[in-house]
Amino acid sequence: MNRSLRSALIVVAMTSALSACEVVRPWERGTLARPEMQLDPNALQTGLYDQVYFSKEAARGGTKAAGAGCGCN
Amino acid sequence: MKRSSPLAALTTAAMSLPAFAASPPVESTLSVGVSNYQEADVPPHLVVGGDNRRYDVNIRQFRLLSPVGRDWSLGLDLSRETMSGASPWGTSAGVDGEPALIMSGATIHDTRTETSLTATRYGEDHSIGLTLTRSEEDDYEAFSPALSGEWTFNDDLASLSAGLSYSNDVVEPTDAATFGRVSREERRSRSASVGVSRVIDRSSVAYAGLSVTDHSGYLSDPYKLRDVRPEERREWALSVRYRHYLDGPDAALHLDYRYFDDDWGVASHTLHTSWYQNLGTWFQVVPNVRYYSQSEADFYRSVDDFGLPLDVHQSSDFRLSAYGAFTFGLKAIVRQPDWSLTISADRYIGNEKYGLASGVPHPARLEFTLASVVLDIQF
Repeated sequence: MNRSLRSALIVVAMTSALSACEVVRPWERGTLARPEMQLDPNALQTGLYDQVYFSKEAARGGTKAAGAGCGCN
Repeated sequence: MKRSSPLAALTTAAMSLPAFAASPPVESTLSVGVSNYQEADVPPHLVVGGDNRRYDVNIRQFRLLSPVGRDWSLGLDLSRETMSGASPWGTSAGVDGEPALIMSGATIHDTRTETSLTATRYGEDHSIGLTLTRSEEDDYEAFSPALSGEWTFNDDLASLSAGLSYSNDVVEPTDAATFGRVSREERRSRSASVGVSRVIDRSSVAYAGLSVTDHSGYLSDPYKLRDVRPEERREWALSVRYRHYLDGPDAALHLDYRYFDDDWGVASHTLHTSWYQNLGTWFQVVPNVRYYSQSEADFYRSVDDFGLPLDVHQSSDFRLSAYGAFTFGLKAIVRQPDWSLTISADRYIGNEKYGLASGVPHPARLEFTLASVVLDIQF
């Protein structure tokens, strides 16, 4: 199985798993709206960490399309 | 946990559900950050030439996100990094046969400025955003347009996100004639991503995403004495994120995992966990641990071989070696209704012994400290 197909199957499997979830009514979503429950609680700091790890490690990506590069050494 | 009224909960939830960017911001947010990144010096006995003092970077960040009318928002991101320090040029066999480092001879000073402008249009159940980013250094320029979209469905309990980006980069190394470096080269990157977010229950949310990036052009490091990399690279990254709120301790657990794989032979695992502990109404402490491991690139060599032909791939860059790293971090956050202050410190320790794949010791293995202060103001 090639890598593209394997990755697509993983995403489909995860999507299916996520679809088997509880119904949460609008008035039950207060906890989910708390700042510490956001995927990225602080956009500025996320940008800082992304840049540091991007420039010092071989791995990157996974949550969004890559942006502009740098000549980081 | 403080119980909010149903009306307050409904209003808050409508304003901001996790990961779902399909609804426009209701107020402007101004963020200002000041950070310092400091790499530990290389032990002198591991350096056969050059300066053993590594990078010290001061970072200033500015971000403004504002609603424009009912259906639009504009975001402006500015970042300025001022760098000084020496950079690894290559490796050679030391007196004991182990790799020793050749560093740049004098302290390098450089400045990187990144400007990013994002316009987002919001529909009833979706948002579409266009981002233009420009990054400039003395010897490097990059321009990147990116398109992103997000669609919410299933009564706003799930969202699908997708993104496309392109980057055109130009590198013009300093002192090219003096050191026999390339004078001007280009590289291009094309990237696509897709992700799904889902509310699992009233206190849990999860995300799964996949990105693929193709790089082409000059991908070598022009400052290294011998660095010859393939002119193509394809990267895959699979990411899973989970957030769970616990009533008892009044805290939120964050779990992030990423698997990365590329056609240079590098495979990597990253696991990051954070604990957002509320202390009273306005104060949080956030201890966090990140583990990272990567295998080495197929063409990685611990010692540069200057006898190899120039068309044979090789690199002694520590970033392509097999190693692992732990980051230990702590944040303190003060939250008020209209502003928040975040103070954080992180310590990164890399070592070939920490990696899941076996690796040989690299004299440039990385240790750094990152300290940061961020102020966010809503108005």
